Amino acid sequence: MTAHALFFYVFSFIAIISAIMVTASKNTVHSVFFLILDFISISCLFILIGAEFLGMIMLIVYVGAVAVLFLFVVMMLNVAQQKNKWFAATSGSKHIPVGMIVSLIIFFELIIVIGGWKFKPDLINNISNLNIPTTTNTHMIGNVLYTDYIHLFQLSGMILLVAMIGAIVLTFRQREGLKRQSYIKQISREKKDGVELVTVKSREGIKIDV
Amino acid sequence: MINLYFILPEIFISLSIMVLLIIGVFKNSSSKLIYTFSYLVVIISLAINVNISDNFSLFNNSYLIDDFSSFIKSIIFITAFFVMLCSYNYVKIGNFLKIEYPILILCSLLGMIVMVSSNDLIVFYIGLELQSLALYVLAAFNRDNLLSSESGLKYFVLSALSSGLLLYGCSLIYGFSNTTNFEEISRNFSFEYGVIFGMVFVLVGLAFKVSAVPFHMWAPDVYQGSPTSVTVLFAMLPKIAALTVIIKFLYGPFLNLFSEWQIIIIFLSIASMILGAVAAIGQKNLKRLIAYSSISHMGYALAGLTTGTNDGIQSTLIYLTIYLIMNLAFFSCLLMLKRDDIYYENVQDLSGLSKKHPILAFCFLIVLFSLAGIPPLAGFFAKFYVFMAVIKEEMFFLAIVGLLTTVIAAFYYLRIIKVIYFDQEKERFDTNFNFGVKFSLAFSTILILLYFINPNIINQFILSISVI
Repeated sequence: MTAHALFFYVFSFIAIISAIMVTASKNTVHSVFFLILDFISISCLFILIGAEFLGMIMLIVYVGAVAVLFLFVVMMLNVAQQKNKWFAATSGSKHIPVGMIVSLIIFFELIIVIGGWKFKPDLINNISNLNIPTTTNTHMIGNVLYTDYIHLFQLSGMILLVAMIGAIVLTFRQREGLKRQSYIKQISREKKDGVELVTVKSREGIKIDV
Repeated sequence: MINLYFILPEIFISLSIMVLLIIGVFKNSSSKLIYTFSYLVVIISLAINVNISDNFSLFNNSYLIDDFSSFIKSIIFITAFFVMLCSYNYVKIGNFLKIEYPILILCSLLGMIVMVSSNDLIVFYIGLELQSLALYVLAAFNRDNLLSSESGLKYFVLSALSSGLLLYGCSLIYGFSNTTNFEEISRNFSFEYGVIFGMVFVLVGLAFKVSAVPFHMWAPDVYQGSPTSVTVLFAMLPKIAALTVIIKFLYGPFLNLFSEWQIIIIFLSIASMILGAVAAIGQKNLKRLIAYSSISHMGYALAGLTTGTNDGIQSTLIYLTIYLIMNLAFFSCLLMLKRDDIYYENVQDLSGLSKKHPILAFCFLIVLFSLAGIPPLAGFFAKFYVFMAVIKEEMFFLAIVGLLTTVIAAFYYLRIIKVIYFDQEKERFDTNFNFGVKFSLAFSTILILLYFINPNIINQFILSISVI
């Protein structure tokens, strides 16, 4: 139980600190770094209480897709202009030290979680008070998602469809003068359509009609 | 399998959305065809829905089909049909007749009917999101127009905020009552502050959807900015669904907490009535004006819900139905103000309308008198039923405020009539309206005008509904 409390406090401390840093840091790129750290700490918390499916989904969806997308957007749009005035280092990129710190913390967190998982499997089992040893979380969620909540599953699909239609409607523009490749046209082209044999008279040349 | 019979309208709409999308992708310039097909989809769903008359609950009692939800679904289908009918010309001329337009309307329709028959917090939330997600896109549909994009963005951001509050409320309710099912919630708690907090948060989210004061700020900008054809939709369809859910939510799981939520609803109602009446006075844009008018009308509709009696709920439903008819008539008139392919929407553009277009001016007169609540038009009876129900419960303060705001609101309706009948006349508007606008205007105006002869044509459907 002491181990449980210790892990819980470590992860939640990191989660809270990084959540505060997301809003407090003046550099947008650093904010996104801390956001990623926050997500990872929370997913570690999920794994600790035995909700490994939620934890992994959190890692894949939030860290893998959303946060990295944020990072790209922030870097591309160059909104990181408002520099942090406190640690005024005039030369060199200031993203690297913060990024290093964040990635170090993430590294240690993963070592703790995966180490506990690999070398002391009963640790996580002791911590979680879930009394269903035979079925995994993923299995359980799948069991209710496709039976009791099938209507919600389908409706969520409709929501995603609407989101897709909406994104296309609002951003798709038919461009003028776009030259598309047409395979059927290319393949069905014959030699006689493309090549023409001309006899050129001496000293006159030929005008090529382009 | 037999159970699927009860959700045939939902299944039918979902499948037709996909079929229409596929048609739209593979057939070139098929937007007109799809628009026509979606009329058919709505009418067929209405027919299916009318045929289902049993009470039934599906999916572990999380989806409930009863008289109330069937009636509201029919109303939603009829309204959607007329909305699409009267706005076709506008959509065509405004150059946003794309295949996605009717499909998005159908999607939001699907969300609404899911909301209406939900008996569970999750189902209700999913329906709400499906409905509003389609509406965000529709608000910004005229994307090259600055106002339209602004209204889409504004609606999206504020609505997402209110969805967040609503979801937080749902999680509180779930945490304290250990269930998401409406019927079990009421059994699982006696009196706990957590549940009350959750209920208030959910009410805030729903009040945002019906644009009741103090959650109304988005309404005028969104109404003005979005294309008029979408404004018609905003003014009518989401209000039915959200108001129905308010009724189901308050009179289902939270009937025990009546004395707690009654005060909230009374406040929402009074604040909406007053603000809607006062703020509309200075408006010059007709769409903005109708936004404030709809805020005050929602105030009256909510007043019926403060009573806690079946009479009150029925009066609210009658009010809602008549509100829809009046709005249909108003927007049909608005969609006729076209000159050389440009639609006009300011009060000043109406000046002297009666000289050149006496029939249109007369329709405007009927609609505005009815909105102001002047007998013997339908709008008067709508208010009459609500106030009767309120007075029967001896809530005189609410009734008096309601009557006073009616008088204030009459000012700006009458001012438009004055502009139409007594001001300097302007150029003619086009008169080659298509059949859809003419039909919906004629239909709604005649209903408003002749409702007093036999109120039972509408009331008979509502008086058989008992929620409590």
